[in-house]
Amino acid sequence: MSLVSERPRSEEPGLLRRPRTLDAIGLVARLALGGVMLVAGLLKVARPEVSARAVQAYQLLPFDLATYVGYGLPILEVVLGALLVLGLFTRASAAVSGVLLVAFIIGIASAWARGLSIDCGCFGEGGTIDPSRTRYLEEILRDVGLVLCAAWLVIRPRTAYSLERTLFA
Amino acid sequence: MASRTTDRRAKIEAAAPRSRGGANKIVVATVVAVLAIAAIVAGVIIADQNKKSDLAKGGSSLPAGASAMGVGLVANTSAPANVPTVDLWADLQCPACKQFEDAFGNQINEMAQNNEIKLVVHVLSFLDKNLGNDSSNRSANAAFCAADQDAFLTYFRGVYAIQPEQEGTGYTDAQLRQVAEASGINGNGLDTWQKCYDAREHNQYVESVQTQSAKDGINSTPTIKIDGKPLQLQGLTPQSLTDQVKAATR
Repeated sequence: MSLVSERPRSEEPGLLRRPRTLDAIGLVARLALGGVMLVAGLLKVARPEVSARAVQAYQLLPFDLATYVGYGLPILEVVLGALLVLGLFTRASAAVSGVLLVAFIIGIASAWARGLSIDCGCFGEGGTIDPSRTRYLEEILRDVGLVLCAAWLVIRPRTAYSLERTLFA
Repeated sequence: MASRTTDRRAKIEAAAPRSRGGANKIVVATVVAVLAIAAIVAGVIIADQNKKSDLAKGGSSLPAGASAMGVGLVANTSAPANVPTVDLWADLQCPACKQFEDAFGNQINEMAQNNEIKLVVHVLSFLDKNLGNDSSNRSANAAFCAADQDAFLTYFRGVYAIQPEQEGTGYTDAQLRQVAEASGINGNGLDTWQKCYDAREHNQYVESVQTQSAKDGINSTPTIKIDGKPLQLQGLTPQSLTDQVKAATR
């Protein structure tokens, strides 16, 4: 009886600070970020020339460099997305994804600021669209949300149901 | 004393991560990183090789009306120097281009026939990659073969006349030949057209126009420029088009 009451109640962490809860939040962040990266990559990976044109449409990189970035980016997205969904090297994958997303945000904001009317090309297609169909704010807000997921995972890469926990036990 | 040492050792062993049973993290990380980089490099190289082989396919001759690789085809070479140049970028599979053709095709054709404008047409073929077919490329080749028979614009417009409702259905070789016939190409001319089309005599020109247009920042169709100035398509009427052409005439 006395043993139980000796343990002060305040030492028990609150529900939101329990490791189990934090692991679950990490899982949500990992699946959200990884899921979006994986789908975005898969939608573009079979059509590298369409992806290259989407990158060219930003008119930020030299033409040939934009072409190669367009060819390679979908593959990188698939790799990062798969690692995140599996929960393997979560911190490194989240860090690289975060850097990519910040670059995307800069690209979209710059296209917006320069008065281009393009689709971000995030999930395929891309290129010039009717000015009334541009969705720059929406695209940026989505990417900001994903950057927050990436930041969480860099700070606290431990997540529930991750492959790295089983594999490197 | 001795018991305290073994105690400490036991504690250290308990705290240290057990390597037995778990995979070596550095080895796995290296393998994953190497595979990822190899996949990206291979993907870029394969895409680049595919593109280069596309660019090298077919013949390298220029169609009548095109002065160099990459530049648009002049539909009315007899246009005087004082009239404005109207550049049109269009993909023959693009529905918005058909809408533009339906709305303004007759007017622009008439302006070109009357030499009120110098009409330069850049036939693009990028939709093939979006739609997963090759109809933009084949119809562009067909139109340039028609240019050799002095029927470019008629042919170009004739393809829009048969554009399928569903984007991506594309055109058959037989349909493209029918457009040639409907464009007034017959007899020896039709044989020459067919030979030109079958050999894709102007394919490298087709590809060069697509590449140059992308470099020039044209990545949607239709794009129309009057003396280099983009034409706003929203709210465009036949009258406002006439006015803008008149304003640009020196």
